[in-house]
Amino acid sequence: MSERLVSGHSRLDGVLGGGLPLDAINMLIGLPGTGKTILAQQYLFANATIERPGLYLATVSEPFDKILRYGQSLRFFDPGAVGGSVFYEDLGPALNERGLAGVVEQVTALIKERRPGIIVIDSFKALSAYAEAAEFRRFLHDFAGHLSAFPASSFWIGEYGEEEIAVAPEFAVADAIISLSTTRASERETRSLRVLKLRGSEFAPGQHAYRLSANGIDVFPRLADQSDITSYPLDEARHSSGIAALDDMLADGYWPGASTLCAGPSGCGKTLMGLHFIFNGVRQGEPGVLATLQEHPTQLARILEGFGWSVDEKGVELMYRSPVDMYIDEWVYELLETVERTGARRVLIDSLTDLKLASPDEIRFREYMYSLVQRFSRQGVSVFMTSELPDLFHVRRLSEFGVSHLSDNVVLLQYTRDQAIVRRALTVLKTRASRHEPETREFRITPEGIVLGDPFIPEQSFD
Amino acid sequence: MQPAEIAIFSIGAVERMLDVPAATIRNWEERYGLVKPERSDGGHRLYTRGQVEELRFVKEGIDRGLQPAEAHRLLGEQLARRSGVRSTDASEQAPRLLILLAERDPYAAEFAEFFLQTEGYEVALALDANDAALKLEQRLPQLAVIELLISGGTGVDLCQRLKESGVPACLVISTLDARDQALAAGADAFLRKPLDPLQFVSTVKDLLGKSAFLQGATSL
Repeated sequence: MSERLVSGHSRLDGVLGGGLPLDAINMLIGLPGTGKTILAQQYLFANATIERPGLYLATVSEPFDKILRYGQSLRFFDPGAVGGSVFYEDLGPALNERGLAGVVEQVTALIKERRPGIIVIDSFKALSAYAEAAEFRRFLHDFAGHLSAFPASSFWIGEYGEEEIAVAPEFAVADAIISLSTTRASERETRSLRVLKLRGSEFAPGQHAYRLSANGIDVFPRLADQSDITSYPLDEARHSSGIAALDDMLADGYWPGASTLCAGPSGCGKTLMGLHFIFNGVRQGEPGVLATLQEHPTQLARILEGFGWSVDEKGVELMYRSPVDMYIDEWVYELLETVERTGARRVLIDSLTDLKLASPDEIRFREYMYSLVQRFSRQGVSVFMTSELPDLFHVRRLSEFGVSHLSDNVVLLQYTRDQAIVRRALTVLKTRASRHEPETREFRITPEGIVLGDPFIPEQSFD
Repeated sequence: MQPAEIAIFSIGAVERMLDVPAATIRNWEERYGLVKPERSDGGHRLYTRGQVEELRFVKEGIDRGLQPAEAHRLLGEQLARRSGVRSTDASEQAPRLLILLAERDPYAAEFAEFFLQTEGYEVALALDANDAALKLEQRLPQLAVIELLISGGTGVDLCQRLKESGVPACLVISTLDARDQALAAGADAFLRKPLDPLQFVSTVKDLLGKSAFLQGATSL
């Protein structure tokens, strides 16, 4: 028998260390509209059985019919289960007629009659209005005593703010507290789930993004992998960059599992260099993922066609997402799943600049990139990341968000001016565990892609 | 109305509890007409705990090699005897099996007592060890359910005393995993709290040999 109560959503269960402790009192808190009722019903339908049904008990804040009406729009809501393994009951009349004592009586009677495995009380906070502080505490003791004496997991839902945790007595009784919140920055809304208390169990700390949809709550746990010092196998065969002359500069290409940052101003050829890397791998039997936030698939198809490539080639997986209203959390999990599903060995992320915009803050962005690069490295998946630099000439800084130091290789693309002619220049700035040629070479974009020219001579200007 | 007479179980639940297909249960109802469940407003069958036990009796008979018709005939005889007694004088009813429930937690005691009574057992409730001793003097129970932490953790002593006093079976219950302690004290079974109602009553039945309903009926 499982000692955990699962939600039916593996990532949320992962945040909770495998699930909520069985037979615990769990509080779901958050302002209206954050998805508390949805999450509670998700647990209800995931766990209710004929033998150990689920009870959903409405009090006086959430109209009973409304819960049912909107509940039906959720995919996991099974109308056929209602009355069999899931029971909706209204505590409102008992509460209004006999107060909190009526609630204890009715819930106790329902436990005896239905023998539930899971009980939801929505809203629990509304009950506090029916008694003075001392009486409410007595009710809590009595109510929690009944619930603890029966093997059922209960969810107490309430429109509590986190500041109430220190003062409201029900939080001392709770075994687990999950907070759901929505924050707004400019026009972007971010939903986040936090575990504030989980007795007898470890959990993933911090804010975890989530989305609400007809599938219920979809959680994207904060990707913050700890440094892992255990060893993992390294492949000795190098990966070609797809550009012969660049391979020479890199001492025969990149190490497998390496991360490469390609930084440069707009239009300089960063995406093209990444495409070289992907299609070179595909044509050697190494599947690749084009994770782009830049070009729309139609635009990308035209660009690829110009160089003799196609997104329809076997082994190519296009993952295009618009950066508008995108969550970095969701995107990262989608990329990890896509790589796993396709068995990809190479990934192009185009671009970090767009990805950064989808991230709520810089620290979160760095955590995600560090974790992503570490995971891919251990799997032997090579990552090529592009990053836009603001300066067309006189590049002074590589990256504003610290990705260059965690990348194994850094390639700088920049423009140079020679009289009235603008030229493109490439410099390999860094290759970890490998030598490289430090010279700066001119390159051209031809129908065959990037073609490297000669090194610039020292007196040539980069103005 | 006695808890055993409240129609609460769907045919699906009965199917799972007895491991008898719902179609077979419906067929028995139509053919022999002995176990007739209530119908909900929506027309669904709802069985009482007593009816579940009646069906269990039939199933056990079939498992022993009886034909369904023969098993139903025996059930009919049992029911006729029971209803005959009830119709004359309630004081002549066979005493139900007595279970001494020694439980310090009033909330847990409330549920345990209810589930045992639902099964047809008579329950003597004691909230401490002294009270348990008094109850023991009044009538010897067929089974004692003892909470290990009763009266400051003297459940082990109580279990030993009850066994020495002739209580045939002891079920020790506790939130702590104290199986070794319980068994060393002579307990016949140990269950972790909170008690799962089905597991609890099935353990009690196993310890007593038969259900309260059938023993009561058989003894007539």
